[in-house]
Amino acid sequence: MSSNDPLKLIEQYLDRVRVYLPLDSEDAIVELQTHLIEEAERIGEDTMTAGSAMMAIERMGEPKSVANEYAGSGEKVGPVPAEYVNPVSRIIVVLIGIAAAFTIGASMLGVTLTQLLGADIQNWPVSIPIIIFLNLFIIVAIIGIISMFDREKPLTDKTTLETIFGLGVDGFKPKGRLDALGDLISGIFWGFVLMIPGVIFLYTPAFAEFYMFVVIFLFLGAVRGALFFVGGENNFNLAFEGVISVIWIALAGPLIRIGWPLDSVYVYTDGSWGTYNLLEFFQTNDIPFSFDWIWVVIMFVTVAIAVWRILVSSMKITMHIRAGKGIWWQGNWGERRSLRTPLWKRILGEHDQFQKKETVYHDGYTEPDESQ
Amino acid sequence: MSMTKKTQEELDRWSKEVKRGAVTLAILSLLSKKRAYGYEVVKLLDVKMSFLALEQGTVYPLLRRLEKRELLKSEWDYEDPTKPKKYYTVTQEGLKALGAMSQTWSILSREMREVVNEVE
Repeated sequence: MSSNDPLKLIEQYLDRVRVYLPLDSEDAIVELQTHLIEEAERIGEDTMTAGSAMMAIERMGEPKSVANEYAGSGEKVGPVPAEYVNPVSRIIVVLIGIAAAFTIGASMLGVTLTQLLGADIQNWPVSIPIIIFLNLFIIVAIIGIISMFDREKPLTDKTTLETIFGLGVDGFKPKGRLDALGDLISGIFWGFVLMIPGVIFLYTPAFAEFYMFVVIFLFLGAVRGALFFVGGENNFNLAFEGVISVIWIALAGPLIRIGWPLDSVYVYTDGSWGTYNLLEFFQTNDIPFSFDWIWVVIMFVTVAIAVWRILVSSMKITMHIRAGKGIWWQGNWGERRSLRTPLWKRILGEHDQFQKKETVYHDGYTEPDESQ
Repeated sequence: MSMTKKTQEELDRWSKEVKRGAVTLAILSLLSKKRAYGYEVVKLLDVKMSFLALEQGTVYPLLRRLEKRELLKSEWDYEDPTKPKKYYTVTQEGLKALGAMSQTWSILSREMREVVNEVE
């Protein structure tokens, strides 16, 4: 939906441009952002309003063409129009990632692909081209119909297709610096917690023999956090993330077989602390529920995340190598810049620099900015 | 003298070709005198060289290409966080290229003037 806030209009427009740009294009987005703000200020005679921002945006043009000019690609890449290459490749990677994560996770749980698909394919192999044709027809029809609804949208509103294409954008963003710090702190914290004798005492015998591998993995996670916190996203850190994701997938197999790691939990009864056997509780109360299933679900999710990280890391490393970058450099962090003042600042009464401005006419009449 | 459609088309095509060659020289010349960020370059070209008044869609990619070819270098200025500016300056390599291009341009424009004058 269109807004009356000029900065929001610019952000929405740039979000649309971002969908069509290659992954490492944040610099181009910032240049465009500055251009739009300065142009809107010039049009509004030093005051940026929703109207002047909209005019600046319209002068810049269609997001697809703007991104295409910046990406510097040709008219077509293979059969795909150039402006669709980036979003299409991103969405393909997302789909492959989801499929790979699901397949590896399911196979670790002992579920085969044929079981997942549910039914045997009939009339093999004649059915294949028919299925492909039908699917393509359905896809083209769906895209055609949703594109019809988008025709009247203003330049600042994302089309439905762009929303779908943009699915992959967030998943490819570099790790935020605060997230990296969180990885560092939580890795160290949980690593030490797992080694406390009072905690080890609660483990099942099978997990008690294995827990040190998990501790080492948690410390490796902390190292990854430290690396990203210091160096941002670069090839060394991406490779490190890829390697520890592989290690986690290797550890996940034995961990799934081991099952729920805790035999008992601490409880406070009659003024003192004691332990309470979880398995015994479920058996004596006839509860047909097992912690093993919760464990399996947790492990499945973590394996899926690890597969996704391997995929994204390898893709980004390839991209950086193609761009002629080495192993280590001061990389970016994934914090998203916002043009607008954060809510907490607005509550404290701090406003955007643009919104402070008012239009003052020569006759002395003062008109507040239309964005307010 | 009014221009026919065909003449206009030919002029547009020729202008496009001339601009393509001239804009690199113009940008290098402007940036050799003082550093500037993208929007400034667009406006400078607009004010100083009406013939070369180019859309931002042409200027920004060109700046990026010249930077990639190491004729320009850039640095970010975050003084105003809502409007970070990427300032471009000419490198040593760029200055050498600019010198050579200016010399060639002088010869070309002198010779072109002579040829065009002869025809007139």
